[in-house]
Amino acid sequence: MSELYLYPRWVRLWHWTNALLFILLMFSGASMHFNGVGLLLDFQAAITLHNTAGILLTAGWIGFVIGNLVTGNGRHYQVQLRGFLKRLITQSIYYGYGIFNNAPHPFHPSSEAKLNTLQQVTYIGVMYLLMPLLILSGWAFLFSVYLPETLFGIGSVWVVAMSHLTVAYLLILFLLVHIYIITTGETVLTNMRAMLTGWHRDTHQETEA
Amino acid sequence: MRRRVINKGDTQLGVTWAWGSRTIGTALLLLGSLHAGASAVQDASDNKSCLRCHQMATLAYRDPTSGEIVDLSVDPNALSHSTHGELACSDCHAADYEQYPHPDRLKDEALACVGCHEEQDDAQERRYRFETIDKEFKHSVHVTSDAPEAADFGCHSCHDPHAFRNSEVGEDIAQIVRDDNAICMSCHEELNDPYRDPHLWLPKREKHREAVRCLDCHTPVSESGQPVSHQILAGEDSNRDCVQCHSKAPQLLNRLYQYRSETDLANKGWLSKAVFNEAYVVGMSRSPLIDRAALAIIAITLLGLGAHGYGRYRAYRRSKEDQT
Ligand code: HEC
Ligand code: HEC
Ligand code: HEC
Ligand code: HEC
Ligand code: HEC
Ligand code: HEC
Ligand code: HEC
Repeated sequence: MSELYLYPRWVRLWHWTNALLFILLMFSGASMHFNGVGLLLDFQAAITLHNTAGILLTAGWIGFVIGNLVTGNGRHYQVQLRGFLKRLITQSIYYGYGIFNNAPHPFHPSSEAKLNTLQQVTYIGVMYLLMPLLILSGWAFLFSVYLPETLFGIGSVWVVAMSHLTVAYLLILFLLVHIYIITTGETVLTNMRAMLTGWHRDTHQETEA
Repeated sequence: MRRRVINKGDTQLGVTWAWGSRTIGTALLLLGSLHAGASAVQDASDNKSCLRCHQMATLAYRDPTSGEIVDLSVDPNALSHSTHGELACSDCHAADYEQYPHPDRLKDEALACVGCHEEQDDAQERRYRFETIDKEFKHSVHVTSDAPEAADFGCHSCHDPHAFRNSEVGEDIAQIVRDDNAICMSCHEELNDPYRDPHLWLPKREKHREAVRCLDCHTPVSESGQPVSHQILAGEDSNRDCVQCHSKAPQLLNRLYQYRSETDLANKGWLSKAVFNEAYVVGMSRSPLIDRAALAIIAITLLGLGAHGYGRYRAYRRSKEDQT
């Protein structure tokens, strides 16, 4: 049995704010996108909510990036190239096969590396590729008046709209998988508890530090 | 001789004749480019004798049988700007109206847009057919309605023969929308009441009233090829699908935008002007392709995760059994 303090307070605060904003954005976004279909928000309310949440999400993202630059949290996002593929494959085999045979977790979080390679790659993709795209296209909507008439010969707002939509769908997909994957810890709730309290518990492992 | 009496019975003959001579006359006059002035003066002098009385805004009487007030005033200004602006009163009305008091037998004079128009020489060339309009009109809510207020509904309920002017290509779209909606709003005042407006579900109602016609939602997208459909639909059959307009190929709006002239289209790129260039407009971001693909992928992912979870559950049960 070991306990590791993996998630400092600011990371947890950022994470749960982000989670809440994600849900609000998904719901208000769907209300705008599918307006007219039942059980959705009023259009005007949805726009206001979506814009507000989007602006807060932007602030949160900037905070996250700065936090990663000035604290040690950033090291979790630095890919160790040595053995990268092997680790990636091991982790994938675990999720695709080992997990059904009660195989031991191939990865144990430590304060040096709290994310397994698969997580790391996904989070980097989400936080440093998809999120900036989402935020940029969102702001492009807000300031579409200042956009050029066309981009690549197509109405520029349409380009923006389609990027925003595609990235939004990808992030919904991420969220679904993310919510599922966090249940694959030691017990179903291990990882969830870690993000709530900051402490990661692991019975099979001695503290490596 | 052009001013023949056109009324029930000899309508067809009279009209055809009058038009034949008018066309020749017009061609000649156009050569001398005197056409406009000449015919206006000619008609005006004739109309003047009628307008002497009928231009009075207050000329009206109360129908003794129905008790309703019949407005007898004709606005000369509106008339001269209307499609019928070049006609004299007596082109449509019996010449016997020259007498005053008007002879009693004229009281049953019945003038109908369709009857008068469908026999004309150029009936085939027009973009709209009065017969089609009539057919569509007969299926519209105003005709099928049982409401007593809609009992005498006819073309004249919406079109004042002395003022009606149809829209033409190249006109300002906003003006067309305003004119057309004014026709509907002249009766449907309940729409101005925020508590009774049946369009409360529609966001930005003011903006929509300025930008689209009632007709665009309240008529079917017909194949008749007519610029406007006259088959006004009841509320439940009307369009409430935002995407019909807020999309890359706005089906409903195509009818309205056909009035834009070619140069207008080329200069402005009306698609992007109309729908894309504003800030977020609903449905603009809708892409059936992306939506369908994404929803399918999400569904498959959920299924996959469910199956994965079930596999884990089985493994968990097995490990429990192994332990015991
Ligand atoms: C001296 C005034 C006067 C003149 C001139 C006059 N009218 Fe009238 N008109 C009336 C009045 C008053 C009525 C309503 C009483 C009636 O029907 O006799 C009327 C009624 C009418 C009606 C409607 C009948 C109905 O009951 O719906 C028509 C159509 C009409 N006039 C056409 C004309 C035309 C066309 C001319 C010109 C050729 C003309 N009038 C000249 C005063 C006039
Ligand atoms: C294009 C044909 C046309 C011309 C031109 C025309 N009218 Fe009419 N007028 C009609 C029709 C059709 C009606 C019947 C409207 C109705 O039934 O509501 C009518 C109705 C009337 C009425 C009765 C008002 C009413 O609401 O019933 C009067 C008065 C009248 N016209 C006067 C005139 C005068 C005066 C002129 C010339 C300045 C004139 N009209 C020119 C077609 C015409
Ligand atoms: C008694 C005959 C008569 C009646 C009734 C009549 N019109 Fe006309 N209309 C004409 C004539 C004649 C012209 C041609 C005017 C011209 O070329 O200057 C015309 C022209 C038009 C035009 C434009 C040119 C075209 O041929 O399309 C429209 C639109 C029109 N009328 C609509 C109507 C409507 C709507 C009504 C009913 C409210 C109506 N008319 C009633 C005789 C009539
Ligand atoms: C409920 C109101 C209403 C009724 C009733 C109605 N119309 Fe119309 N009509 C309109 C409107 C609105 C327009 C569009 C005017 C425009 O901008 O050109 C129109 C346009 C027209 C046009 C011009 C078509 C074009 O494409 O430019 C004609 C002709 C016409 N109507 C004839 C008729 C005839 C004939 C009847 C009776 C059978 C009739 N209307 C009944 C509302 C009505
Ligand atoms: C001359 C007055 C008048 C004009 C102009 C008019 N309407 Fe109507 N409309 C009525 C009346 C009367 C009814 C039937 C009363 C009712 O059912 O509420 C009605 C019913 C309707 C209905 C069905 C309402 C219901 O409760 O089922 C619709 C939709 C409608 N009109 C749309 C239009 C549109 C669109 C226009 C313009 C193109 C228009 N109307 C122009 C008088 C008018
Ligand atoms: C965006 C499309 C749209 C536009 C634009 C629009 N309507 Fe409607 N309208 C509808 C729909 C859909 C309904 C049915 C609403 C309901 O039943 O809840 C409706 C309902 C109505 C009703 C009541 C019908 C009923 O069955 O109770 C009337 C009257 C009416 N509209 C008239 C108009 C008039 C007049 C205009 C123009 C000023 C207009 N509409 C513009 C879509 C539209
Ligand atoms: C008949 C076509 C039509 C339908 C149906 C329609 N709209 Fe619109 N809508 C328009 C037009 C045209 C504009 C004006 C766009 C502009 O000004 O650039 C507009 C504007 C808007 C705006 C305002 C955008 C702004 O820039 O302020 C909103 C919001 C909107 N629509 C939402 C909807 C929703 C939600 C629906 C479905 C419930 C809907 N519309 C149905 C044609 C339509």
